[in-house]
Amino acid sequence: MPWLGVLVHVHDDPDVESAELAARLSGGDREALAEMYRRWSPLVHTIALRALGTREDAEDVVQQVFVAAWRGRATLRPDRGSPAAWLVGITKHRVADVRAERYRAHRNLQAVASEVATAPDAAGDSDWAERLLLVHELERMGDPRATVLRMAFIEDRTHEDIARALDLPLGTVKSHVRRGLMALRDRLKEVERVSPE
Amino acid sequence: MSHPSDDELVDLALGEPTGDVSAHVAQCAACSSAVTDLRRTVRLVSNPGPYAGWQAPDDAVWTRVAAQLDTAEDAIPEAPDASGTAPAAPSAPVVRLDRPGRRRTAAWAAALVAASLVVGLLTGRAIWGTTEGGQVAQVALATLDTRRTEGEATLVRAASGLDLQVSTDTALDAGDGYLEVWLINADGKRMVSVGVLRPGEPGSFPVTQALIDQGYVVVDISKEQFDDKPAHSGDSLLRGQLPA
Repeated sequence: MPWLGVLVHVHDDPDVESAELAARLSGGDREALAEMYRRWSPLVHTIALRALGTREDAEDVVQQVFVAAWRGRATLRPDRGSPAAWLVGITKHRVADVRAERYRAHRNLQAVASEVATAPDAAGDSDWAERLLLVHELERMGDPRATVLRMAFIEDRTHEDIARALDLPLGTVKSHVRRGLMALRDRLKEVERVSPE
Repeated sequence: MSHPSDDELVDLALGEPTGDVSAHVAQCAACSSAVTDLRRTVRLVSNPGPYAGWQAPDDAVWTRVAAQLDTAEDAIPEAPDASGTAPAAPSAPVVRLDRPGRRRTAAWAAALVAASLVVGLLTGRAIWGTTEGGQVAQVALATLDTRRTEGEATLVRAASGLDLQVSTDTALDAGDGYLEVWLINADGKRMVSVGVLRPGEPGSFPVTQALIDQGYVVVDISKEQFDDKPAHSGDSLLRGQLPA
């Protein structure tokens, strides 16, 4: 099974590029960090913006994430997962820090009555990072797999319906759904693996 | 029954009829956890929220990242320890910089910067005070990516105050824009524009001691466009941190 993964990735250009970028970063190449910033700062920024609501805080998080990425480059495993998921993992921790800070500041300043409204949200929107990472992964995933997954999960269409619409054998559609879902599941796992500093 | 295949677990997670697979998963912690993960993935991918396109951060954010790394990691060896004795300090940058993966020239250049900085930290403001007129601090300006030295910045005490003199080895390409000189704060968050540099000509800009004392010590030359944005474009050509 791991073998199969390697073979698939060899033909999957975005993944090969990402792995090279990860290897260069962990080797101490500053230009690799700049390239990662060009590619993924919109992802990091959008997550932070959704979670925190203000541009100033979101941009602070972006700054912290890429500084942390450089300092923590030894923890990036080029052979295990994508830099995007790794950055999203770091982003989650930074966003949580800002929320905790806000909560403390607020608690110090305000009456107990209004605390509840701004207490860090334990569930609900804490999935922003994961949801947006999956949007990003679908965007960079090649077709027809990306289209198959969109139709299956976002448009909620049956496999038979998708097979007819895309003129693909039903087995091919099922295979794309299975492989695609497992790939997305792996990305979410990679986010979880990133530990707070 | 042995563990079901990944495909079978996906089918189960998607609610397809699977017969004895679900019977196994019901009593197998590993497979049950795998199905839970797959179902969570389905839930998250099915509901991207009110997603309305990516929003890039302001260009200046990258400048702040680069400045913070330049000041915090490559130049400042360790936070100066108030209780420590002075002679112990110089050994710190050697340890930090001598790590695998760095290009030798970059490490060497960084060590030079770090060494001069340590001297600055140890002697403190004495360096500033003892010099009456003339050069008080100098730094090589290097490209951000390859760290090639292509210019220098010198802080000179003039009759009227401090001047920051900036020169480049060759004329920098401003494209259809212009070159702007900045002082970035060592905290990586604040910066001030000190003036416009003509390509191929040295420039001299009045600055204040207060600015330097507040930590605006990173000299940065950026390429700017003729737009309505007064902020840093994020396109830095050369940079260097003044010692102390």
